[in-house]
Amino acid sequence: MSVDSARGNHVVGQAATRQTPTAAASAAAPLLKSLKYGLLGTLMPLAFVAIWWAAVAAGFFPRSVLPSPFAVGAAMFDWAFGDPARGGYSGTLLAAIGASGQRVIMGYGIAMILGVAIGVPTGASKLLGALVDPFIHLLRPIPVTAWVPLSLVFFGFGFKGAVFLVALGSFFPIVVNTIEGVRGANRSLIKVGRMLGARGFRLLWFFILPASLPSIFVGLRLGMGISWVLIIVAEMMSVKSGIGYTLLDAYSFGRFDVVIAAMITLGLMGFLSDRIILAIEAVVLRWHRETSIHAEP
Amino acid sequence: MQNPDVIVSCEGLDRTFVTKDAGENKVLQDINLQIRKGEFVVLIGPSGCGKSTLLNIIAGFDQPTSGLAAIAGEQIEGPGPDKAMVFQDYALLPWLNARENVEIGLRMKGVASAERTQQAMHVLGLVGLSEAAERPVYRLSGGMQQRVSIARALALKPKVLLMDEPFGALDAFQRAIMHKELVRIWRATGATIVFVTHSLEEAVFLGERVVAMTPKAVGLTGELIIDMPRPRDPLSPEFAALKRKLYEMLTAHLPADVDLFAD
Ligand SMILES: Nc1ncnc2c1ncn2[C@@H]1O[C@H](COP(=O)(O)OP(=O)(O)OP(=O)(O)O)[C@@H](O)[C@H]1O
Ligand SMILES: [Mg+2]
Repeated sequence: MSVDSARGNHVVGQAATRQTPTAAASAAAPLLKSLKYGLLGTLMPLAFVAIWWAAVAAGFFPRSVLPSPFAVGAAMFDWAFGDPARGGYSGTLLAAIGASGQRVIMGYGIAMILGVAIGVPTGASKLLGALVDPFIHLLRPIPVTAWVPLSLVFFGFGFKGAVFLVALGSFFPIVVNTIEGVRGANRSLIKVGRMLGARGFRLLWFFILPASLPSIFVGLRLGMGISWVLIIVAEMMSVKSGIGYTLLDAYSFGRFDVVIAAMITLGLMGFLSDRIILAIEAVVLRWHRETSIHAEP
Repeated sequence: MQNPDVIVSCEGLDRTFVTKDAGENKVLQDINLQIRKGEFVVLIGPSGCGKSTLLNIIAGFDQPTSGLAAIAGEQIEGPGPDKAMVFQDYALLPWLNARENVEIGLRMKGVASAERTQQAMHVLGLVGLSEAAERPVYRLSGGMQQRVSIARALALKPKVLLMDEPFGALDAFQRAIMHKELVRIWRATGATIVFVTHSLEEAVFLGERVVAMTPKAVGLTGELIIDMPRPRDPLSPEFAALKRKLYEMLTAHLPADVDLFAD
């Protein structure tokens, strides 16, 4: 009650002193709003860390298995900035991120190029669809982890095998969403393309591909998520570097602070790469956002 | 030898759709139609009489079951920029702005970039959209979007401009404005236009020649030459008389109590 009236007074006072809103004020309003929503997003992670800390402090779990958030923070700091000369995990974070990131980018890049290049013609042509579609849907249910033995045989331990697994895993969501995107593309846009004289590749490139981009981006996001899952699988099974390797190695030494630090790093990497895709999507698919149901009136 | 002035020519055209549930549907039967260069022809008839079917055949999107359809003496093989269609739903590419939407057809023709922009700006000027050239099309009003669609078709310098109820989605005011604009553009460019509608008013206002179609009929139902001078006043008695004449032509074969054009 008193809070409400105080706020009411404040608004009245503001309106009285500032009769014409300045450009700065109108620009600050959406910034404040997004700041508010940004802060809202940090609420649950903070609460989670607090509960975690309390649970450890209360002695619910042995510290050797679940270290406190501060211990994990310290391990993370040492992993990131420690002197490599000290051995162990000190100062090797960047190298681990680099190793995993490189494999993800390679594998994901291959999946993206192949997924779109195969998906667009497969979706556009009935004949190709009948030829390729059943094969893709037969391969897709095989868990990518089941490919590990064959991958080891063909690509051995190391970079190539990891790239293969990442590429294979992220290929399926990308290709399937590309095919569906093309099939769902507005028919009249394809009619327009043919009327304007586009045939074959140019019809695909200038008309069908842009029309199916909204669906392709769904596949790209799903594929990126799977990439980070598979790089860890690959690094745990067959590669001797990277975040996944560090995680498994730390586990074998009972260093749960490093295990959790590696988990957090993975979470952040996945989050970050998703945000990058979203940022690209925001530019490329502006037309789609503004014509979809999410558009602000 | 064919008259070189004839742009669109249909001879003994049939189109029968065969569907599982409805069986054979003879939509077009023995259609004969010649359209000369520079003519503004309106196809009118009630819903389902096959106007879009005929237009789609001329555009190359569909093939006749039998008979001949030709553009400038050559049998129609498929869609292409020589027979440009203006769609009822505009069908603009939402990822391009207004100018780029007009340019893309020129690009497919292989016109160089600078030349493209110049030609696109010229036709956008013709439809009164110079100011909106750089705006994304989804932010334009329906009437403006349809102007972009007309500009895109005009930029192709087509042998014939095909319009299938292009102003159906516009309100009465915008439609009246577009009617005047279209007549102006037609006079400025000398384009050959085939315009599909089921509005008597639209037909009499726009057409030089109105061709009437009726569902299930063999051949075209009739033809009315509109020799009323332009600008035509839709409120004049002359205009009303022409509408009546057209109405009677379309309803001649119907029992007296059926009103085809009752709203
Ligand atoms: N692809 C198709 N398959 C089967 N039947 C069709 C097809 N296209 C059109 N028809 C049928 O042909 C008939 C004429 O359709 P058309 O679209 O040409 O009519 P229209 O005169 O343009 O009508 P409207 O004024 O409502 O647009 C209709 O009975 C329709 O059901
Ligand atoms: Mg129609």
